Amino acid sequence: MSRAKVEQHPATGMTLVVMVGLSILFLLFMAFLNVVKTGNILNEANLLYAALVFYAGAGALYLGFGVTGTDSYIKFASLATWAGLLANTAAVAHRWYEAGHPPFASVYEMLLSFVWTLAALTLIAEKRYGVKVIGTITMPVAIVGVVLMQLLRSDVRPLVPALQSTWLHVHVTLAMLAYAACALSFALAMMFLIQDKMKTETFLAATSIFTAGIYTAILGRFEGWGGFNVVAWDLENKQEVFLSRGVRLFVTIPDLGWLMLLVFAAVLAPMVFYLLAAFRKKEIFLSIANRAVFISILLQTLALIFFLLRTRDGQYPSLDAEGLYPTSLAASPFILSALVGGIFANLLYLLLLWRREDLERLLPSAENLDRITYKTICIAFPLLTLMIAAGAFWANRAWGSYWNWDPKETWAAITWLVYAGYLHMRITRGWRGRRAAYFAILGFTVVMFTFFGVTYLLPGLHAYA
Amino acid sequence: MAPSLGSALRKSWQTLSSIKTGVVLIILVVIFSAAGTVILQRPMTEPDDMARAYSPAMLRFLDATGLTDVFHARWFVALMIVVSLSIIAASVQRFPNAWRYFSRPYKSPDQNFRRALPLQASIPISNEEQGLGAADRILRKHGFRSERIVRTNSFSLFSERNRISQMAVYMVHASLLLIFLGGIIDALVGWRGFLMLTPGKAGNQIEMKTGVSRTLPFSILCNAAGEETYSDGTPKKYWSKLAIIENGQEVSRKEIVVNDPLVYKGVRFYQASYGRTGKLDELVLNVTPAKGGSSQQISLRMNQELALDADTTVQLVEFIPDFVVQDGHVYARSNDVTNPAVHMVVTSKKTNVATNYWLPEISGVAENASSPYIFEPKDLKTGVFTGLEVSHEPGQWAVWAGVVLMAFGLTFVFYVIHMRLWVVPVQNANGTLSLWIGGSANRNRDAFEEKFKVLVEDLRKELNPVPVPAELQVASIAGR
Repeated sequence: MSRAKVEQHPATGMTLVVMVGLSILFLLFMAFLNVVKTGNILNEANLLYAALVFYAGAGALYLGFGVTGTDSYIKFASLATWAGLLANTAAVAHRWYEAGHPPFASVYEMLLSFVWTLAALTLIAEKRYGVKVIGTITMPVAIVGVVLMQLLRSDVRPLVPALQSTWLHVHVTLAMLAYAACALSFALAMMFLIQDKMKTETFLAATSIFTAGIYTAILGRFEGWGGFNVVAWDLENKQEVFLSRGVRLFVTIPDLGWLMLLVFAAVLAPMVFYLLAAFRKKEIFLSIANRAVFISILLQTLALIFFLLRTRDGQYPSLDAEGLYPTSLAASPFILSALVGGIFANLLYLLLLWRREDLERLLPSAENLDRITYKTICIAFPLLTLMIAAGAFWANRAWGSYWNWDPKETWAAITWLVYAGYLHMRITRGWRGRRAAYFAILGFTVVMFTFFGVTYLLPGLHAYA
Repeated sequence: MAPSLGSALRKSWQTLSSIKTGVVLIILVVIFSAAGTVILQRPMTEPDDMARAYSPAMLRFLDATGLTDVFHARWFVALMIVVSLSIIAASVQRFPNAWRYFSRPYKSPDQNFRRALPLQASIPISNEEQGLGAADRILRKHGFRSERIVRTNSFSLFSERNRISQMAVYMVHASLLLIFLGGIIDALVGWRGFLMLTPGKAGNQIEMKTGVSRTLPFSILCNAAGEETYSDGTPKKYWSKLAIIENGQEVSRKEIVVNDPLVYKGVRFYQASYGRTGKLDELVLNVTPAKGGSSQQISLRMNQELALDADTTVQLVEFIPDFVVQDGHVYARSNDVTNPAVHMVVTSKKTNVATNYWLPEISGVAENASSPYIFEPKDLKTGVFTGLEVSHEPGQWAVWAGVVLMAFGLTFVFYVIHMRLWVVPVQNANGTLSLWIGGSANRNRDAFEEKFKVLVEDLRKELNPVPVPAELQVASIAGR
């Protein structure tokens, strides 16, 4: 807590801006040397590299803004975001032109479009609605997205017959837009709770539950004596190793499981101290809980680093097949996003803990946030409806049935129902404020499960996404 | 008994139509559908996998409760019916009120209404007619066309926009019911099956998922089928040239590909699978007499006998798509044409000698050396089959109609707002006259409130142009 007070003095100077500017220039200069050597300027890798450099710069500035609250950073941050978005747009256009179809067909292409949408939404939210702090959250996600793209197979792969349909593109575009709107409504609902004077320790409990949930899911891969299962990766073809159709081959990384178990205990600690504080009514436990968050971030970072290192090198045995197989980060996008997501959520909590007053000053008022959340869902809901309809229409042309009760379909319908419930409660029952915000958060949780959970946990026809 | 029965009916109707019931039903549907995605489902999962995943007692329980086929279980269908009924009941109960709003707009507000309306303002006026005239101008400026309401002893103004918005919720509810209706029709009379055809063959027996077969009143002929691949070998396109034969006449013809089915009399034929039968279609060979001479090209079909000269004939007797030799015998390892072998018999009529000719020459069984002709393989065409998914889902038209209606309904619900404005001259208790302005919107009230405030401010300026202090006036002119 004393640390927070030391940092409270208004940050001055343009040190950060100058440093970020110089590093951007340096990186672009290095890239330029490389381009001169190969003589090929406008290829996708270069464009993406430029986007990454600018996004990284923007991310640093947004983070600087989030931590110090210096307004002047925002100007340069959005400038860098604009530059990154420009390079990203060029990359998307290049991809589209090269492939002859909108970039939604592979995980790589989805990420490309996702990062683009994220950057565009950041600028819209900032310019249009004045939600300046949003870049602090979205830019790190965009950076992780671009880095992840470097690991994935990026060559234009032809579309298998089932994916050659205009309706697929309509469906996926609508899905991206709908999910983006849902994500926005979630972020707005969270900001509403901050402005609605919800206690900081409640956010602590929520963060802790979220992180514990992540590590519970991750520990589903725990194997035997401290092993950790990941999908094997075919380094040559840059794809997962399949035992048979649809059955992936898992390899076991020894000892990594223990580390994950340790981190699980560490992320549970803040929750335990929070509960102690709640029942014993002693403030001391809360400050211990906050310190435990700090420790858990360190341990989570350690887990991430070890995960990165161990998936990069070496070959691992498998329980299902003879011999040793390599793996790669690209084989475990869900685990990687979960690890990064956990750290990210805890960092956001620390941001709230240390900078709550600044945040309250910077964010729009509670009533405004409540209203914007509702409006965002008013946009998300029709998009969700049309997304499901377009998917049904495509399924009807490809498989001969508009509804198969496949898990992804069912969960899309569940998402739709949850938001329908929200709208009914809001319109006919006049739900406002907290209750509406909780509902919006629940809706986005279901969206996340539909997007990640169903693919990761449940089998089905939606093998493509 | 009659009154109590009546009251029980009324009570259950009220329960059914309440929003609380609706939410409880939504929660139930969510829980059971989620269960249906987590628990392995029967038709899709092999019985072996089911047995591996659950203990026998657990499996018995799941089967008995229908949890292994949630979406086709009776209770799930019943739940969906209750949901439909609840939507109908809720709509029917609220509809008369909404219809009254819609058909008989409330144009001249009474005192009680005026007192209770949350959004209202009052501006002192000197003259009733002047006040109403100014209000009419201002409303028009803000895009509201007003209507003068004449009552026995009073005048007032009423203005509204987008009255249709009051009906939007019913559009959405009706669209949902249409979609359910389509689903129910398809569940009752729809069917799905599979038909396998080889080029040149026609069929009308559809193999249903349930195991029985269904006979179509027309037959479907496959003229050709094929595949195209990208240069890296991944499939690019599967196609089948189909024709519908009805009463011995071809009535329809189409080349179908994945994502583009053939539809005839409500029956849809989808390209579902494609493969090789492992049977020989045509074998093209170069034939040269063993003693030397000019070669010729021949083509053979299975068991077909072909004369090579006046004395010698050749017959194709065996085709093995994937051969393996064991103990001096040739066996087929699989039906994939990966390692083919053909067996021909070359017969001389005069000497009545039959020679077994094998391609490739398999030592032990082949007598190629004693054949009067040498055969050289040129081309091998193997048979293909095309798998067609056949479905009849007449309810889908209700579904698509429902989807379109829902798109319109949702647009009206979210983006079209019913706004009403009333302007009434009121005689105050102290004898002064004022203009009462009231407004209401059915949605997006905060934005309407802003609009209303601006409108009232405009009207206030129009009615009482407040003399601006001299200094300020100068500043504002300089500002321009």
